[in-house]
Amino acid sequence: MKIYRSSGSGSLNLCASGYPGALLSLAVLLFVVAPPLFGQSVNPFEGDARAIRGGAGLFRAQCATCHGADAKGIVSIEAPDLTQIWKRQKLSAGAVFGSIRNGIPGSIMPSHSLTDTEVWMLVAYLQSVAETGVIGLPVGDRGAGREAFVENCSECHRAHGVGESLGPNLTGITLQRSLESLVASVRDPDAFVGRGYKVVRLINSKGREITGLIKSEDAFSIQLQDDTGRLRSVIKADLQTVERLSGSLMPEFASRKLIDQELFDIFNFLQSGA
Amino acid sequence: MSKLLSTLLPGLIISAIFGSRLSAQEGPSYGDLLAGFSDPERWLTYSGDYSGKRHSPLKQITPENVSQLRPIWTFQTGTTTRGRGFEATPLADDGVLYVTGSNNNAWAIDAHTGRTFWRYRRNLPNDLTYGASAPVNRGFGMLGDRLFMVTLDAHLLAFDRRNGDILWEVELEDYRIGYAATLAPLVLDDKVIVGISGGEYRTRGFIDAYDPESGERLWRFNTIPGPGEPGSETWPDDPEVLAAGGGGTWMNGSFDPDLNLIYWGVGNPNPDYYGEARPGDNLYSNSLLALDADSGELRWHYQFTPHDLNDWDSNHMPVLAEVDWQGRLRQVVMVGNRNGFFYVLDRVTGELLLGKPFTATTWARELDVAGRPIVLNDGSQGCVPDPWGSTNFMPPTFVPEHDLFILTARETCATYVPEKPIDAPGQSNFGGTVLIDAEQGSGALRALDIHSGDLVWEFTYPSPTFGGVMSTAAGLVFAGDHEGNFMAFDSDNGDNLWHYQTGARIWGAAAMTFMLGNRQLVLIPSGTTLMAFALPE
Repeated sequence: MKIYRSSGSGSLNLCASGYPGALLSLAVLLFVVAPPLFGQSVNPFEGDARAIRGGAGLFRAQCATCHGADAKGIVSIEAPDLTQIWKRQKLSAGAVFGSIRNGIPGSIMPSHSLTDTEVWMLVAYLQSVAETGVIGLPVGDRGAGREAFVENCSECHRAHGVGESLGPNLTGITLQRSLESLVASVRDPDAFVGRGYKVVRLINSKGREITGLIKSEDAFSIQLQDDTGRLRSVIKADLQTVERLSGSLMPEFASRKLIDQELFDIFNFLQSGA
Repeated sequence: MSKLLSTLLPGLIISAIFGSRLSAQEGPSYGDLLAGFSDPERWLTYSGDYSGKRHSPLKQITPENVSQLRPIWTFQTGTTTRGRGFEATPLADDGVLYVTGSNNNAWAIDAHTGRTFWRYRRNLPNDLTYGASAPVNRGFGMLGDRLFMVTLDAHLLAFDRRNGDILWEVELEDYRIGYAATLAPLVLDDKVIVGISGGEYRTRGFIDAYDPESGERLWRFNTIPGPGEPGSETWPDDPEVLAAGGGGTWMNGSFDPDLNLIYWGVGNPNPDYYGEARPGDNLYSNSLLALDADSGELRWHYQFTPHDLNDWDSNHMPVLAEVDWQGRLRQVVMVGNRNGFFYVLDRVTGELLLGKPFTATTWARELDVAGRPIVLNDGSQGCVPDPWGSTNFMPPTFVPEHDLFILTARETCATYVPEKPIDAPGQSNFGGTVLIDAEQGSGALRALDIHSGDLVWEFTYPSPTFGGVMSTAAGLVFAGDHEGNFMAFDSDNGDNLWHYQTGARIWGAAAMTFMLGNRQLVLIPSGTTLMAFALPE
């Protein structure tokens, strides 16, 4: 059993930027920035610490109920993970501005009659929490990383054409996740188990035990990927027992088993191939 | 043949043919609406009758044969509301279904085949506010050859049901401020009753009655009192706060023709989570109203959630029944509320008969002697039901054979963080944030004994569900879930007897049923589709 994980915690402490602070930032910015700001594709506040703080306050008041306090979305209402939109959809700042201002027609996402400055502050905040991956990957040997990956990870993970498919494909994962969350995923995989990777142990009507990952579930069935990687349909009425495990199928890789330098070698391989 | 007869005969034949066709096409009268389920080939109002029970007398499909139920056609609407559902209940008359959908589309559909007779789509402005909701619609009202539908730009339309032409339209309020409309109108003999969405904006809710012939407004009841009016003492002495007090009325109500009272729920006060600017109980938010149908005057009210801080609108279908209550026959109204309590009230007087939690809510566990909740946790201390509530507008059902109230229950965990909002017309402001624990949450179909509020049986779902419920006199309960299953249960014990995976979550909608010739059809909206089921021929 090797490494896999769906996503890091990446949570943002919004309490550090409460609403009164946001209002203050807004007041300051309104004096500093000259309109018009709509109709452009570059955010004039990108990276501006005060704008990000103000945007965080606005986000909390206007957006967090649906998109979550950490902006990572709520699946049950199809509110997307806003930390991922920039990469997956290749959105421009102007397009995000338009979605906030006008809403998304045909969806639950409403329009917002915020000022241009406020919308750009929100965009700045979203840019600040975008999953941009490792900035300044520690030096490593990609060739050694490939070998370490094959030895430790490839039984479950695939990267650059090598390995299996029980866990997520890790090709380029370093471009999406921070170094801190990547290391945490390896050192303490039970701390967070993402949707699609929750573990269940079943005993079917013939008394056979099956352990696997819940890919989907309804009141009558489970769509399972068993620990051999096979996709299986399981009808709940046919089961003797259903035991839901809190941890991950992925084993813990303590530093004595995989030292930091080996990890960095693997990360370099994941980013660029061998 | 005499000359006179030969001259008149073609006309007489034409008259006989078309006259009879036209009369056969005549739609339901008020008497037909009052008769509710008496004609098995009709389903004429949102709930099937005025009582809101959603309990059909049909018995062709039974607990014994329901396992043979199968789809007979699927209608693709081609429109959707991402993040919400296809929430309408179709109306059935003379083999034709009349149904509304997302983005103010509407159709007349052949009930035999699922093919369309006509389609309507409203040309909506592109600066909609949606009343802080979504571009959904819950159905038509019908009287004679007219259909009535409300719109996202806060209008009421009257249709000719034969071709979908618009006969008249009236503006309810200005959508740009934050008003919108999504409910199925309640149609009486000479009135079309509608309510409004927009409680997250600087709006003031109302219930309106319009003339079905002309569209003239006959009366309006404002759910937030004006300065000096009864109820205003539960608000700050500030006209601006009252004028923006919220109190949406976005789910239709039920009607008691003998008492001539309509029963209608009212939504949250504005802003939702931030209560400091509106100290007091904030009547008539989060209340059930009993209004005189002729005048719109308030007869009584009961407030479920005084000074709501959790967006627990009381926009539910009030369910009317006559029950033996502790040895005395009483006319009651029942509500399964978003705040997690199930209520039974005497609908003549408004007297509270029962109030008991049906979920694990930690907000309150009991009511005091005056019928007020004893609040233990207003949400700021964590883990109370989320803003979608312990249930919501998805219809419940009442099974009179067992005195069971059956509803969809949601078990969720949320923390509320109120913050002072910036108020602006046309801009929604919830007044804070809700932190929802996405890892905790489940749903259940629960059957409650109406006399005790006790749980009689339940069927659990993996996630908090938004599907509604219908029952039949054959002993069946039909429900839908968030995972897309459309299911049938034994109303006696909750045994699951049948399920069909529709492929999209069933959200806000409940089933309806009617006889098409000698065949009982059961319909459910799911995703972008309307699906019809029946036993094999």
